[in-house]
Amino acid sequence: MDEEIRLHVELEAERLVREEGLGSPEARRRALVAFGGVERYKEELRDGRGLAWLGGLSLDLRLGARMLAKYPGLSLVSVLGMAVAIAIGALVFGWAAAMLDTTLPLDDGDRIVAVQTERADAPGDIDRQVLHDFVLWRTELTTVRDLGAFQLGDRNLAVEDVVGDGVADVVAVAGMSASGFRVGRVPPLLGRPLVDDDERAGGPPVLVVGEREWRRYFGGDPNIIGRAVRLGETVHTVVGVMPEDFRFPVNHGFWVPLRLDASQYDVGGGPPIQLFGRLADGVTLEQARAQVAAIGHRLAAEYPGTHEHRRPTVVPFARTAEPTASGPEMQWTLYIFQLGACLLLVVIAANVAALVYARTAARTAEIAVRTALGASRARVITQLLVEALVLSAAAAAVGLSIAAFALGWMQRLLAQMGQGLPFWFDLGLSPGMIAYVAGLALLGGTVVGVVPALKATGRRAYGNLQQFAARGSGMQLGPTWTALIIAQVAITVAVLPASVHHASALLRTSMRDSEYPAGEFLRARVSLDREEAPPPPADSAEAAAHQRRFDARFASRAEALLQRLGVEPGVSAAFVSAFPGGEPPYRQFELEGDLAGSNAAADVEGENASVPAAPSAATIGVFDLFDAPIVAGRGFVDADTAEGATAVIVDTAFAARIPGGHVLGRRIRRVEPRRAGAGSEADPAQWLEIVGVVADPPRTSPDPDDVALPNVYRAATTSALRRDGVQATSILLRVRVRSGVTPAFTRRLREMAAATDPGFQLHDVRTDAEVLSREAQTLRTGALAVAFATLSVLLLSAAGIYAMLSFTVAQRRREIGIRVALGANPRRIVNSIFRRASAQLGAGVAVGLLLALALDRATGGMVMGRPSADTVGLRGAVALIPIVGAIVMAVGLLAALGPARRGLAVQPMEALRDE
Amino acid sequence: MAPRPQTDALRGSLDLLVLKTLSLAPMHGWGISQRVQQISGGVLEVNQGSLYPALQRLEKDGLVSSEWGTTDNNRRARYYTLTAAGRRALGTELESWRRFAGGLETVLRTT
Repeated sequence: MDEEIRLHVELEAERLVREEGLGSPEARRRALVAFGGVERYKEELRDGRGLAWLGGLSLDLRLGARMLAKYPGLSLVSVLGMAVAIAIGALVFGWAAAMLDTTLPLDDGDRIVAVQTERADAPGDIDRQVLHDFVLWRTELTTVRDLGAFQLGDRNLAVEDVVGDGVADVVAVAGMSASGFRVGRVPPLLGRPLVDDDERAGGPPVLVVGEREWRRYFGGDPNIIGRAVRLGETVHTVVGVMPEDFRFPVNHGFWVPLRLDASQYDVGGGPPIQLFGRLADGVTLEQARAQVAAIGHRLAAEYPGTHEHRRPTVVPFARTAEPTASGPEMQWTLYIFQLGACLLLVVIAANVAALVYARTAARTAEIAVRTALGASRARVITQLLVEALVLSAAAAAVGLSIAAFALGWMQRLLAQMGQGLPFWFDLGLSPGMIAYVAGLALLGGTVVGVVPALKATGRRAYGNLQQFAARGSGMQLGPTWTALIIAQVAITVAVLPASVHHASALLRTSMRDSEYPAGEFLRARVSLDREEAPPPPADSAEAAAHQRRFDARFASRAEALLQRLGVEPGVSAAFVSAFPGGEPPYRQFELEGDLAGSNAAADVEGENASVPAAPSAATIGVFDLFDAPIVAGRGFVDADTAEGATAVIVDTAFAARIPGGHVLGRRIRRVEPRRAGAGSEADPAQWLEIVGVVADPPRTSPDPDDVALPNVYRAATTSALRRDGVQATSILLRVRVRSGVTPAFTRRLREMAAATDPGFQLHDVRTDAEVLSREAQTLRTGALAVAFATLSVLLLSAAGIYAMLSFTVAQRRREIGIRVALGANPRRIVNSIFRRASAQLGAGVAVGLLLALALDRATGGMVMGRPSADTVGLRGAVALIPIVGAIVMAVGLLAALGPARRGLAVQPMEALRDE
Repeated sequence: MAPRPQTDALRGSLDLLVLKTLSLAPMHGWGISQRVQQISGGVLEVNQGSLYPALQRLEKDGLVSSEWGTTDNNRRARYYTLTAAGRRALGTELESWRRFAGGLETVLRTT
């Protein structure tokens, strides 16, 4: 196009030179003048080619950005509000995507599967004693290649000179078939992966290390291959280092060969293992399932004794570990959450739309003028829509940043918890999430832009030019507007108090100093490495004997450790199986001879009179830990630890719940939770006699709403703890160091444990102070999130109320002016304005109160599912309602004030001239 | 595109002139304007600014087609050619113009 016009001008200039003898600059000037402005015609030509919208769009975008800057308050409120909704949407999406995605971050990761044996007689149970089946499948399965097995366990890792003085650290080790490395298709960083030959029984113990562990425990030693490393009792030789990409099977950095000999076990027995493999080329999951099921049927017929209820199947590998294992069941929940997030966005966007509408109404004149100058309705709507999209795009950017931050935080938090996250669980940003957020932005922008645009450019708007000239803005809102104000106020009043209350409660909790010297207490989960023990023999009697020997060893070593700790100066220690401040399982205790109607039963939903309490079995020293005095009866004596002893000691909280007052000598017993479907009740628990009352242990939970549960203690030896324990494989060690726990003491504890038994594994060694501060940090972050969401809602609704009210009063400006001109008393005018505003606000507050009460009623029955229904929280929230109501009223009346004053300031002549 | 007011004497007849000129031979824009001016003996002057939008419009309507070529002194220029549809359109336009001109003439003669 340029070239064509340039040619024309040049030819014309040459003609002028030729025919009229002009100098070439003058000729060129004349030629340009004759053409009449090249740029203008370029534009027209562009119009002719149908590209007008391009220029228009960039103009609209610039206008949109300018609007953002021109109304900073409105922009801030709108962007913030929508950003919160978009962030929530993105969070839900990110979570759902991570939960539902079964593709491992490995080559062809969607084809890595697990072969699981479900139990037809116990839905949801996975039978892992499948060693014999594994051997069979390895030869028969054609649909799954590289079938392998792994076994997970913890081992004490000892690396001389690297981890403080050779003291052991507990690490997760996978005993895995060499095919696991073939399935992963990740080449080693150094050395070699495990190979099939390593699985030979009696072969040299070899070890493959992950990159992370290589750096952490071996300082990234480039000569690590061939180095000797002790795992538990066995010295292994490092043969390879795997890169960070390879954390198979769950999140592992230590791999040893899996050496299992099926011939040593009965069919249907053996150690628990998990099976994995890769779908053969061109085979679908369904085909693999069919083959596995067919073999399963055959086995069921062949070995009815063990295989009758076994239902082997093939699932994506990601379904073998939490949190993604429960993905499919959560699918609908996640969809519903997603829908909820979208709805939230629509509601907020509708709010923003109301704000934008008010602004658009103020721009009626502009729109009318543009229409009069020839802008089509579509053109004006496009402009308004683009403005809204600019707004929502900004919100999307902010929202996405919030979501990315929050997801990163969640990932870190989850990784710290328990066993850590499986390697495929990634909450990071994904292209899908960005696309989803873009979609949300489009949705929000459409809601914000379309309604005001359609309204503002509707047929009536064409009359606006006239009105604009003669009588000011003529947009009529009427009842819709009133309803909007009332709804806005009502929702604010109903929703805000609860969230303000929750945020402040969380914050208060996180700020609270614990009442006891948390720095003096140490806790550690203690277990014993089973590795050195030979595999359990096939004979079940022998296996039981083996287990007994193991338990005996554990008990005696634990006792020895306790004694060692006991002679350390300033240290008191105890083993407990459940403990205050942890997660003890709650049990209901019933009182003998007091089965019906008592005070204690009042707030317990069961029909029997029972008291909820946390039962702990503990070694005798347990009360010394907290210096808790015995307030009645006696403390524990050695005889109480004997098999069949029935003595229990309860704390004062429990004693207070026993009706009738006298506590000593009363007998209590555990009420076993009745399982749904179980026909008859299990044998009733043993009756226990209360022999003493001990002072309550210090509160460890910083949450004031956390009502401390009564405790019931039984004395036990370490061996009884192993039987009675909450966890079959580990018990809890509690240590108190009067002078405060130092890193040096922690090291000393590990040394003592290692010296007592090299197989001792200390997990999660933490001081109570660390545990509490981590909890507090989580609470603070939660409070921050709630506060952030609350603040944005408050800001949004305040702005919404302000905009609506000031808009409605602005509508009456002319009327006010005329009334003033006609001599009305300004006071009466102000009164009338405020009466109407107050009526709208008051109605909103009233509706909001009703709504809030209804919400309270609806949720009051289940206060976080705690055993004691405490309503402190709700009352706190209810108390906030009038305050929020007052704030809302104040904001609203303030909003009415400005326009009212402007109305009063209108000169009578002005108002009349307008007419 | 919003209709643009045309104030020159060629209002309504520019398309006709362009089509007629192109019916003689393919030509570039400047050539068209020169040809019209020459043939009319300088009476008709094509508003150069209107010419290109008109060409654009005619091309969009499928009455002319264009392609890049070179002029006699080897410059790149866009040459416009009358299409078959353009030829038919020229016929009807000419017909209606003659009717219009005849009518106008009759009126002017009788009053």
